[in-house]
Amino acid sequence: MTLDSNVPGGPLAEKWDRHRFESKLVNPANRRRYTIIVVGTGLAGASAASSLGELGYNVLSFCIQDSPRRAHSIAAQGGINAAKNYQNDGDSIHRLFYDTVKGGDYRSREANVYRLAQLSVNIIDQCVAQGVPFAREYGGMLDNRSFGGAQVSRTFYARGQTGQQLLLGAYQSLMRQVEKGTVRSLPNREMLDLVLVNGQARGVIIRNLITGELERYAADAVLLCTGGYGTAYYLSTNAVGSNVTASWRAHKRGAYFANPCFTQIHPTCIPVSGSAQSKLTLMSESLRNDGRVWVPKNPGERRPPQQIPEEDRDYYLERRYPSFGNLVPRDVASRNAKAVCDEGRGVGESGLAVYLDFADAIKRLGLEVIRGRYGNLFDMYTKITDEDPYRLPMRIYPAIHYTMGGLWVDYNLMSTIPGLHVLGEANFSDHGANRLGASALMQGLADGYFVIPYTLAHYLAGSTLPAVSVDHEAFREAEAGVQGQIDRLLAVKGSRTPRQLHRELGQVLWDNVGMARSEASLRTALARIPQLREEFWQNVSVPGPKNNLNKNLEYAGRVADYLEFAEVLTLDALHRTESCGGHFRDESQTPDGEAQRDDENFSYVAAWEFQGVGKAPALHKEPLTFEYVKPTQRSYK
Amino acid sequence: MRIFLKVWRQASPDAQGRFVDYTAEDVSPDMSFLEMLDVVNERLIMQGEDPIAFDSDCREGICGTCGFMVSGIAHGPDPGTTVCQLHMRRFKDGMRLTLEPWRARAFQVLKDLVVDRSAFDRIIQAGGYTSVNVGGAPDGNAVLVGKTASDKAMDSAACIGCGACVAACKNASAALFTSAKISQMALLPQGQVERFQRVVKMVDRHDEEGFGSCSNEGECEAVCPKEIPITNIARMNREYFRALLFSRD
Amino acid sequence: MSSPIRRVLSSTVGTKLLIGLTGLALFVYLIIHLAGNALIFAGQDAFNVYAHALISNPLIIPLEIGLLLLFLVHIYKAITNYVKNLAARPEAYDKKAYAGHTSRKSVASSTMIVTGIIVAVFLIIHVKQFKFGSYYQTVADAGVRDLYRTEIEVFSNPFWVAFYVMATLLVGLHLRHGIASGFQSIGFDHPMYTRRLTMWSLVLAVIISGGLAAIPVWVYFTH
Repeated sequence: MTLDSNVPGGPLAEKWDRHRFESKLVNPANRRRYTIIVVGTGLAGASAASSLGELGYNVLSFCIQDSPRRAHSIAAQGGINAAKNYQNDGDSIHRLFYDTVKGGDYRSREANVYRLAQLSVNIIDQCVAQGVPFAREYGGMLDNRSFGGAQVSRTFYARGQTGQQLLLGAYQSLMRQVEKGTVRSLPNREMLDLVLVNGQARGVIIRNLITGELERYAADAVLLCTGGYGTAYYLSTNAVGSNVTASWRAHKRGAYFANPCFTQIHPTCIPVSGSAQSKLTLMSESLRNDGRVWVPKNPGERRPPQQIPEEDRDYYLERRYPSFGNLVPRDVASRNAKAVCDEGRGVGESGLAVYLDFADAIKRLGLEVIRGRYGNLFDMYTKITDEDPYRLPMRIYPAIHYTMGGLWVDYNLMSTIPGLHVLGEANFSDHGANRLGASALMQGLADGYFVIPYTLAHYLAGSTLPAVSVDHEAFREAEAGVQGQIDRLLAVKGSRTPRQLHRELGQVLWDNVGMARSEASLRTALARIPQLREEFWQNVSVPGPKNNLNKNLEYAGRVADYLEFAEVLTLDALHRTESCGGHFRDESQTPDGEAQRDDENFSYVAAWEFQGVGKAPALHKEPLTFEYVKPTQRSYK
Repeated sequence: MRIFLKVWRQASPDAQGRFVDYTAEDVSPDMSFLEMLDVVNERLIMQGEDPIAFDSDCREGICGTCGFMVSGIAHGPDPGTTVCQLHMRRFKDGMRLTLEPWRARAFQVLKDLVVDRSAFDRIIQAGGYTSVNVGGAPDGNAVLVGKTASDKAMDSAACIGCGACVAACKNASAALFTSAKISQMALLPQGQVERFQRVVKMVDRHDEEGFGSCSNEGECEAVCPKEIPITNIARMNREYFRALLFSRD
Repeated sequence: MSSPIRRVLSSTVGTKLLIGLTGLALFVYLIIHLAGNALIFAGQDAFNVYAHALISNPLIIPLEIGLLLLFLVHIYKAITNYVKNLAARPEAYDKKAYAGHTSRKSVASSTMIVTGIIVAVFLIIHVKQFKFGSYYQTVADAGVRDLYRTEIEVFSNPFWVAFYVMATLLVGLHLRHGIASGFQSIGFDHPMYTRRLTMWSLVLAVIISGGLAAIPVWVYFTH
């Protein structure tokens, strides 16, 4: 099967307009006859479900949390980009587009990114109208800050809780539709299979997490808005409930998985402190605006940081990247932190941390200014580490944060399964090999509020969708499969917990498919993952009831999927012998140790087709062409 | 350290619950409270027993999923802290702690420490939004919002909907939760259009769900992980009063 | 929508609004009552002149009915509210602790229903002892009631002195939470003054209950 991205023709700036005009529409009176399933209620899911409800579709909105408001988008701290140019500092749609394509290391689709930049301005307007309390200037205008190394101030924010406020805005719109009866909210439900009828996505099998019962839902289209797969690494900045299950089970039904090796490792997280640690906490990237990153010059330095004199410190980011300094993009900052730790110059008990020092900023700006800017982050740091960052430098280390890869979608956000649309972090489309700060929120909301209402209508109006009931054979078969897996999990009655096995898998991935990957490390991982999967199915312990709330059973099912998914992730990393963005291959670097792309051989999207568990997936390629941004070696020197 | 736990176990909403004693061994002071419970659960799973059910998700204090009573205080003894951000260094070796779910008529216990908080969603459904469809919004800067109003609205909007306010209130009132959303909207120009209907509808829904009334003790404010003050409740009361006097709907 | 009045009578916020409004009105009445009765310190004549002026005023009957209504609404709403609030948490906590930090929970706030009921009972006795108590005429004018004498008669009994001191202290306890709470319930909210309300509530409660308690004590020891 050839991968057709369905990118419309015409000049870049006119593609989306033209596409909207050329798309088919659904008559308002007919919309309520279409049932749409939306899985996930993060920024993408909540915005999609509410927008479709507003248009009059009959929407079923599912989430695994006990309320749609708790989806993990809520944890995003920094902000949301928009090419408003309110600051008169030279921003434009084209510049946001350019920055995103370049930041993604030329592995994203130009047309998608341009549309994203265009829609970014509408998102802010919509959110303001919803009452999202964005930061304001004294004159009452919206405030902006520069974020993640951008050279213009285009980031809108609501304190350090932008994701929360945007999500609550979308959630409230969703609740409004629930009250109106256009959307049915079904929380505490996990999608465990996708149901295909005549090759079209026509429903889902859901486990009610409270009663343990399996439920069938039929629809005319299914939207997956289920986020990324960072938790495959066990320790990540994702919520402990975030998982790859919905995407993976759709993949097993025929949706291609694109670029799974593009994972983003965030440079400023609080380091790991013990074996019981369940997640890593991100400290907003904005800290790098004033904090200086350093490690001791000499390996094995034992002095506490305040006693290390200036001449024995290595401000390695400022040294290596004089023009961007501490504000280099995430992948660059992360890789450098790993490099200095590998040299034995890491700090803290584990040696897996670097300092982020505010002493100079406090001296220059005063304690109060720093408190005003970062007070809540400093408090959070103190709460977790019991150290005072006003006196001592923070210790930070990179952690898995975001996944650029995801289910393959075309320009209409439709996967390789007709009717299955994938939005937000769950798809692969807009961030290439590396995502810029404050762009995830933008993408989630653009997909949900402004893209899917048009492209879904086009699909519905242009497809033959015979009536399907949940008694259809396909539903029965899918439910039996899901039930079979649950029974198998409960039947093993081994001696190892899902968490132990997940932690082991995470360690294998972090060590071998982490910040730097090599053929040898990837082959090690590929040997180890099937063993772990075997161990899981031989020896996992899932006590407790089947027909009741059983969090351990939910978790075991997710771990089972990580153990299958991890293999594709690793294979993708192995096949892509170039370095680009968050994917760094030791074999492919410039003489001074930067990521070396191989545009001649790898300027494509790698989309993997499922062939069976443990069997090598089939690779399909979608070539990437760059008409408007000429690929260059990224340089932040 | 070693911590002795007395935990509420209840198999299902209809089942009879009871307290069961557990001992958490080898607790490190750097663990979060929930990581300590993870360790207890790991041992239970290996012994083939049903682990203690408790809710949690982001584990960084923003999603509002976690929460239970730690020895009689919602989210435990630290101010402005969810139980996932409560660390074991706060406790001493050999301490005895009682863990109980949020208790309120409106919050049914689903299992062990997990309760049903869907009543909060229904309160928001009643009017916790501006009725604007996607598509027609004017430019973000078309309406100016004073910095003070915006900051205060943000203070109220910071609510994570965890339910600690209800749990702490002697009347199991959700006044703090409800008033935080009403305040956010009342403070912003975007919220003015539906100001009267919103407060009346949300308060009505709050009552229908079976929450009690506010006794102005401020226990809710004291346990709120986001330290949302009860001045929000005063504002809700005022908005309500005003709606009664001036609403013509 | 149902009528606004019905909503006032039924919703949690409306209920508290009514309790707050009536409570604050009663608080204002109490200040006037204390100020008037403090004239007892100025001697028999002054006190009786004031009392006469008060009871001979034709407006006193409607005012008293109004006052009675305030009490009845306050008590009725407080009790029904209390019962509803009990129902909001059918299963009690095994362990419940004071949350500390910014909490304003106090002995006063936790005992409002108890102090309220005791004060209500006290009021019945109080009205019976004075308004409907022993009737004397002043020497100077037979048309003027010598309430001063009634007062001295009641408070010459150490039992009644102790009873009144206890009761007024409970009034103080009720006010200590009630004043600030009333303002909060009617929606008074100010960035600076709200915080101080609790403190003022305490100060006023001490002044009022101290002043009220001082009367029987003073009478007992000076007569």
